[in-house]
Parts: sequence; C-alpha cells; structure tokens
Amino acid sequence: MRIRYLLERPVSLRVECTVAGFTVLLGPTGAGKTSLLLALAGLLRAEGEPFGGLPPQKRAVGFLPQDYSLFPHLTALANVAFPLAGPDRFPEARRLLALVGLAGREDSLPRELSGGEQQRVALARALARRPELLLLDEPTSALDPATRDQVMGEVIELVRRIGLPALAVTHDPHLAEMADHVAVLTDGAIQQEGSPEELFARPATLAVARLVGFRNLFRGRVVSTEEAWSVVEGAAGRLTVQSQPWFRAGLSVHFGIRAEEIAIDHEENGDASPADPARADPQGNRLTGRVVRVTKLGLYLLVRFEGPVELEILLPRNIHERLELAAGERATVWLNPRFIHVLPDGNGT
Amino acid sequence: MTRAATFAFLAIGALGLLFLLVPFLMLPLHTSWSRFGFAPGDLSAAEVSLLYSLAALVVIAVFGTPLAYALARYRFRGKFLIEALVLLPLLTPPLAMGLLLASTYGPYGLIGGPLERIGLVLTNSGPAFLLAQIYGAAPYFIVGARAAFEAVPRNLEQVSLTLGKGPAATFLRVTLPLARLGLASGLATAWVRALGEFGIVLIVAYYPRGIPVKLWINLQNVGLQAVYPLLWLLFLVGLPLPLVLGLISRRERR
Repeated sequence: MRIRYLLERPVSLRVECTVAGFTVLLGPTGAGKTSLLLALAGLLRAEGEPFGGLPPQKRAVGFLPQDYSLFPHLTALANVAFPLAGPDRFPEARRLLALVGLAGREDSLPRELSGGEQQRVALARALARRPELLLLDEPTSALDPATRDQVMGEVIELVRRIGLPALAVTHDPHLAEMADHVAVLTDGAIQQEGSPEELFARPATLAVARLVGFRNLFRGRVVSTEEAWSVVEGAAGRLTVQSQPWFRAGLSVHFGIRAEEIAIDHEENGDASPADPARADPQGNRLTGRVVRVTKLGLYLLVRFEGPVELEILLPRNIHERLELAAGERATVWLNPRFIHVLPDGNGT
Repeated sequence: MTRAATFAFLAIGALGLLFLLVPFLMLPLHTSWSRFGFAPGDLSAAEVSLLYSLAALVVIAVFGTPLAYALARYRFRGKFLIEALVLLPLLTPPLAMGLLLASTYGPYGLIGGPLERIGLVLTNSGPAFLLAQIYGAAPYFIVGARAAFEAVPRNLEQVSLTLGKGPAATFLRVTLPLARLGLASGLATAWVRALGEFGIVLIVAYYPRGIPVKLWINLQNVGLQAVYPLLWLLFLVGLPLPLVLGLISRRERR
C-alpha cells in the first residue's frame, strides 16, 4: 500500500512511503510521527491517499494509540465488541480475544490487565473493525522491557498471519530491526525507505545513520579511489573503505561503523582481525589506543575506546569472556573495510 | 504530626461537621409530634414543587448538556465571555433575577407581552414557575456537567470514531457513560436548587404555590409550628433523587 499525505499543522509534513507487511516508520521525537497516524485515521486535518477526505468513522483503519485507549468502563469483551453490531457480535469478539491469546480474560476490566494484555485487547478491538490498514503509535513504549521483544514478536507474527498491512511509528531502532519494511522520517519528509538490512547497513544520510543506531560517525575526505577499494582520510588516519560510484578524490564525506561491528583485542596480541584477503595493506584500518570504560548494556558490553578517535564498541558476552578487557588497558581495534559505511557530506545533520 | 496534633486536627474537623448538622438535629426536637398535621394546601404545594422541579430538570438537561459539552470540548474566540454569561444567573441575587424575569416575561415585557397575546402567560402561572426554577438551577448543572465532560479523555472519543462509531454514537456510548458521575452530581445539585428556589419564584410565580412559598405563607399566617410538617415534606420530596443518583454512581465507580 502506498501512502501519500500532506500536513500543515501541528507540524509540516510531506510523507510518501510504502506500507508492506509490518512496516516501521522510524523518526526522532517531535518529527510528527503521531501526527501522521492521526492524519491517516482522519483525526487531524490533512490531504492525502488513502482515505483522503473521509471522516474517521468511515476510514477502514485500526488505530492503536500509544496508551491503547481501552474504554475503562467496559470489560475486555465489551471493548472488542464495541465496533461490532448485530447478534453475533459477542461470539465474534470472543473469537478475536482468543486469536490474540486472551481467552479467559473476557470479563476483566482494562485496569486489571497488564500493559501487554491491554495492547492485545486494543489489537483485537482494532481487528474487529475489519481494517485495511493497522496503525500503531509507539507500540513498545508502554511494554515491560523484559517481555517487550516477545510481546511485539507475537503482535508482528499475528499481523503477518492475517496479512494486514501495518504501520508502526517509533523512535526505537530495535523495533525497526523486526520489521518487513522501514521508512525514516526526519525534517518533515521520508529520508529513506527499504528493508531493515538495507537501512541498518547503508543509511543514506547522517540523520538516518544516527536514527538506526550508528554511534561512530566521523568526517573525512576521499584521498584516492580505485575500482574496489578507496582510501578515506580523517581524524582516524587513512582508512580503506569500499568504493562507491560517486567517489571522487578530494570529496568530503561522513563515514561510520556500527558499534557491534568493530573488532578489538589486547594491544600485545597485535592483530585484532582474521586475515582479510581484500586488504592490500596488512596493517591497514588498525587503530591503537586505550580502553577508557567498560559498561554493561544488557547482554552486551559497551567498550569506550580512546585512540586517534573515540569509538564505542559493543561486545557480545562470549567475546568479552575470552578477552576480559579492563579499563585503562591498551588495545588495538580493527575497522573492517566492508563494514565502514560512507555517506556524502552535506546531507542533513 | 504527633498523635496529639492529629487528634486536635481531627477534632476541629468534627466540630465543623457538628456545626453544619446542628440545625438538622434540632428539627425533630422542635417538631411537636403530638400535633403533627399539614396546613390546608401543604400537600398540593408538594405536588406543585415535585412536578415542576422534575419538568425543570428535564428542560435543563436537554438544553444544558450540549452547552456544557461545547464549553468542555471546543475552543473558540470569546469562550471566556460565554462562560461568564452562563454563570450570570448564578451570580445575580435571586430577588434581582426575579425582577429581571418579571420585566422580561411580564405582561409589559418585550417578550412577555407578545407571548401573553398568544396565550402563554408567564406571570403567576405554571410556565412562570417553571421559568423561575430553570433560571435558578440551570447554571449549577451546566458547571457540573462541563467539568464532567472535561474529565473524559479526548483520545477515547477519537478511538471510538476510528472504530466506526459516528459522533452521536460516540457521545452516547463513550462520553455519557464516562461522564455519568459528574452529570449525576450536576443533576442532583440542579434538582435541589430548583426545588428550593424562593427568591425568583416569589417575584414571578407566587402562584401556583410550591413548597418554599407555602412555607413562607404558613410562617406568616400561622407561625413556626405550621412550618415543621411542611419542612419534613420538603426533605421527603427533595432528598430521594440526589441520594439515588449518588448511590448509583458510587456503586458503578468501583
């Protein structure tokens, strides 16, 4: 489904993107993500397709607000039956509650349900309306971090099974990783859209790179360019990167590498990398410096490295257990040329 | 707070409560139960009060509800002015309000004159009585209902719209049920005000005699002893509705 919407207030937006399967619209706080959903639902004045010009009650959308907005005076069953009519509405509501895994909670009031259960009631209620498009506003924000992935995974699985296009807006790059399709909204327009793999590996602009979680972003200049490999110079010295068709010697660029894609080792071990046949220079893309801080980050360790440049490195536990890096220690990092992503300069900030 | 301070604090509150209750506690003591009996016309006064207050309440709810909803939901230029105008009858002393009504709806009034020619007499008549009660009670309901509507989350109404219910169905199935507590208390307050309205009624509707006017007449003609039975009747007629509304909304809130 193709979406084209034009908003003036409360933010000026010109959005054009595809909704395919479970689609995530990623954007920073205040980018107008919620406004776009309200506009699609007909609750905010806007021009666009689909549903253009229809009042909200005539639009076939299932809208899940951030707080789920269950009717507090109605039971779970009555909430789901709300959009239904006719004598079959309660059996149908029962079926939908069972579909979202809430059989047996029919008589519970919303305040007696957990955040995840409330979300599923809201989902069942939205499905009862027989929508052509599901809209989810920050669906992970009210969920318990411990069960968040599982709960969202089930929601996404269900949406895929029914074959209902869904548009979820969020600032959480983690949710985007689970999506079928991702679009990035900043500065009033879609900056880039594509598969999550594409966006996470090859963000088109600096703003997109930041949103999809690039922590290590630097400024540099193309020194020389050949068919496969080029050399970029910046504060980190000269680095080998994959050539891009638009590379010209002397061109200003930004480049970045994801925190989880940097290799690190103790300095005395020398080579932080397995042998890479693509490299002409065996000493290339290596930086030496000092580990400043090691912080736990869920199952990962966040290592802060200070060398010619500062880097943030995410290590899985198994690697950290082997290395046992400590703050203050000297270390070598290796930036795999294939994982360094280069962006043209001057594309947003 | 220390125990002694807490005790003193609560004792002051209890004194306040007692002070408020004293007149009511005295009523059974002052009533001469051996000679308890209604003066002529007391029962018909109760009938007049009951019927017209109910009618006034219906009129107030029908016209006041949309007004209160509009004040709660819509933002428009000059809204504060309308808010002040709604309160005007409430801020005007009842006697002054009665005089204003007499000059407006009376036989020589700009509105009352023409109406009288088509047969609608708005002085000392049933409709006049109703009119006086509406002016006396409506602002109380509108203020209460407005607060009740404001407390209904806007996004619940929006979600109802996205679920395919139009504005009317949304109002009936979401807004009204969620505002019921405040609406019930607004109705109860308006009921008590309408039933007890004396100042305005005295000027524009001395007849038909409702309980407040009849109390005044009994006091003037007979004396205090003739007042007590009618006072009991006033409580008997006036209290059930607020009590029932209060009980229903409390039970549903849990």
